[in-house]
Amino acid sequence: MSQAVISVEHVSKRFRLQFRGMRTLKSAAMDTLRGVWRRPDRQLWALQDISFNVKQGECLGLIGGNGAGKSTLLALLAGTMQPTIGRTRVTGKVSSLLELGAGFHPDLTGRENIYLCGSILGLNKRQIAERFDAIVDFAGLADFIDEPVKHYSSGMYIRLGFAVAVEADPDVLLIDEVLAVGDAPFQRKCLHRMDDFRKQGKTMLIISHDLPTIQSISDRILFLDKGRILGDGAPSLIVEQYEKFWRQQNTGDLRSEWGTHAVELTGVEFLDAAGAATAAYAGGATLCARVRYRTRGRIENPVFGFSIGDVNGRLIHGSNTQIAGLSLPAIEGIGELCLKMPDLALGNGIYLFSFSVHSWDHKTNYHRIDNAFPVAIKTDRVFDGCCYLQSSWEAGSGAGVGA
Amino acid sequence: MSRRFTHMRALIKELFSRHELLHILVVRNIKIRYKESVLGFLWSLVNPILLIGIYALFLGILGRIEGKSFEILVTGVFVWQYVSLCLGDSAGTIVGNANLIKKSAFPRLILPLSMVLANLVNFLLSLVVVLVFVLCAGHIPGLWLWLPVMLLSHVAVCAGVSFFLAAANVYFRDVQQVTGLLTMAWFFLSPVLYSHELVTHSHLAPWLKAAFFLNPMTGILCGYRSILLGYPLPPMSDMALSLGMAGLILILGTLVFQRLEKRFSDEL
Repeated sequence: MSQAVISVEHVSKRFRLQFRGMRTLKSAAMDTLRGVWRRPDRQLWALQDISFNVKQGECLGLIGGNGAGKSTLLALLAGTMQPTIGRTRVTGKVSSLLELGAGFHPDLTGRENIYLCGSILGLNKRQIAERFDAIVDFAGLADFIDEPVKHYSSGMYIRLGFAVAVEADPDVLLIDEVLAVGDAPFQRKCLHRMDDFRKQGKTMLIISHDLPTIQSISDRILFLDKGRILGDGAPSLIVEQYEKFWRQQNTGDLRSEWGTHAVELTGVEFLDAAGAATAAYAGGATLCARVRYRTRGRIENPVFGFSIGDVNGRLIHGSNTQIAGLSLPAIEGIGELCLKMPDLALGNGIYLFSFSVHSWDHKTNYHRIDNAFPVAIKTDRVFDGCCYLQSSWEAGSGAGVGA
Repeated sequence: MSRRFTHMRALIKELFSRHELLHILVVRNIKIRYKESVLGFLWSLVNPILLIGIYALFLGILGRIEGKSFEILVTGVFVWQYVSLCLGDSAGTIVGNANLIKKSAFPRLILPLSMVLANLVNFLLSLVVVLVFVLCAGHIPGLWLWLPVMLLSHVAVCAGVSFFLAAANVYFRDVQQVTGLLTMAWFFLSPVLYSHELVTHSHLAPWLKAAFFLNPMTGILCGYRSILLGYPLPPMSDMALSLGMAGLILILGTLVFQRLEKRFSDEL
């Protein structure tokens, strides 16, 4: 019953970088003269010796940073690219949501594009006609279906693309970052639809950077980096592994640092309740950060500050010793401060801490280190959003349960 | 070689199984060509008529317009128009659909093929106009049985060359620049403005006269003129050479396309 619907055996994919883009006869002739026609000097192995199977009805998530090879892998499975080495096998009809509305022609109407796109996905006219109303209904475009799609908003475009692809009724659905586009109601609709797919026992492969979503929807996750599989297993385990990997690799990207260096922040250490160094806290725990500094000479009335941002650079919270009412008349030499945050209310994920020290009037910035200190939060509380806020419900009149 | 032909058979089977997609793409191509132009389909008549006017004027100035020249010109230009439209469109059929190629799997040959068939529809419509002209000029068309043979050969030439150009342009964008020049050279080497007798009755070396029929368009133009104007056909051996070349071009174009299509997604 649970045979492999997708099998990937020792697949590698090479791109010849210099062949990309505009290639002209002249450059080919030059390359031939140089003897590099068959051996271009720059090549990229987008995938290296990848092997895995996907069983009937399984939902496999693919995660990894940019350039990890996720999209290349889906393109191989969709059949738009051929592997350089190895082979892939997919049983049944594949429908890919690699790029929504990719097959649309701007000058054709929505109706004409549904027929075009549906037939590219392998439906015949009768099948498209049967699904036509469902497609228009799902996309919510009944009033605009006879307008050329060039007059559509980008949201309408995407909705129509998704509607056609899911109504194509594939055995295997490949989804590349669809969840990142469209507004919230549409995303919910998509997720709902994907859930239906799962219940029908269809096989899905999903790429997403939205870790909580992919963790909840997948049965299994593959973690790719630089064309290799680094992890393959239960969603929660792999997401944790990926987050850990991400913390080690990528926190440098957002990091920035500047100031006069009259006071220098020499180190920040995060400690757990027992006083041991840590980089992860449970929801509701007490965070303790020890900030060490060194001054050049005597500094009057310094202010130490911190802020918390998410990995997208959005500020979640920030404060400083001035606001908190801690007055530091003067500091000199080496010293340290301790920041304490009891009952952490942050949601699951990775947060980046920034620390700074500046003058009382905020005019002189001594030292500021932004987004340099990643901290992972793992909470059992169930809620939406990045912060837990106290809330409760009370039944009002008329909302009572009947006797 | 036998493996090549199994490939060919598989390709034909695949194309046939996707005939609805082919149909939709043909309709799309026809719609888009004349979308938002006031004259619409009339352009495929206006263009050759203007060309005929220019050539007639030019030949008139040179004193070369005599008896049959005008009807040769009209049939030649309309028949050539199909080839010239296909050549002009071919380079863009793969490169211009990069999105489709990269995002979905379907037989890539359908893209240039649908372009060739869309232009065929135009050609067939314009052929009706030529027929009216020919009847008005007092000719009794004959040799109707030859028409399907000519049409098939004509499509074969257009398709074969278009497949080759479409695939080659993915790797070398020079192709789209060179096509115009190539079309013009081919135009003058084919008996479009002149009768094939200008060459066969000339004092050229016999091997050059034989080579004249290696150009499939020579045989095809002669064939159409026999059908439409009742002219005698050239010797069967010459016709067979031309039409054989048409078939060869189709096969070679398809083989090259199949060889190159594997890395379209990588290159686009």
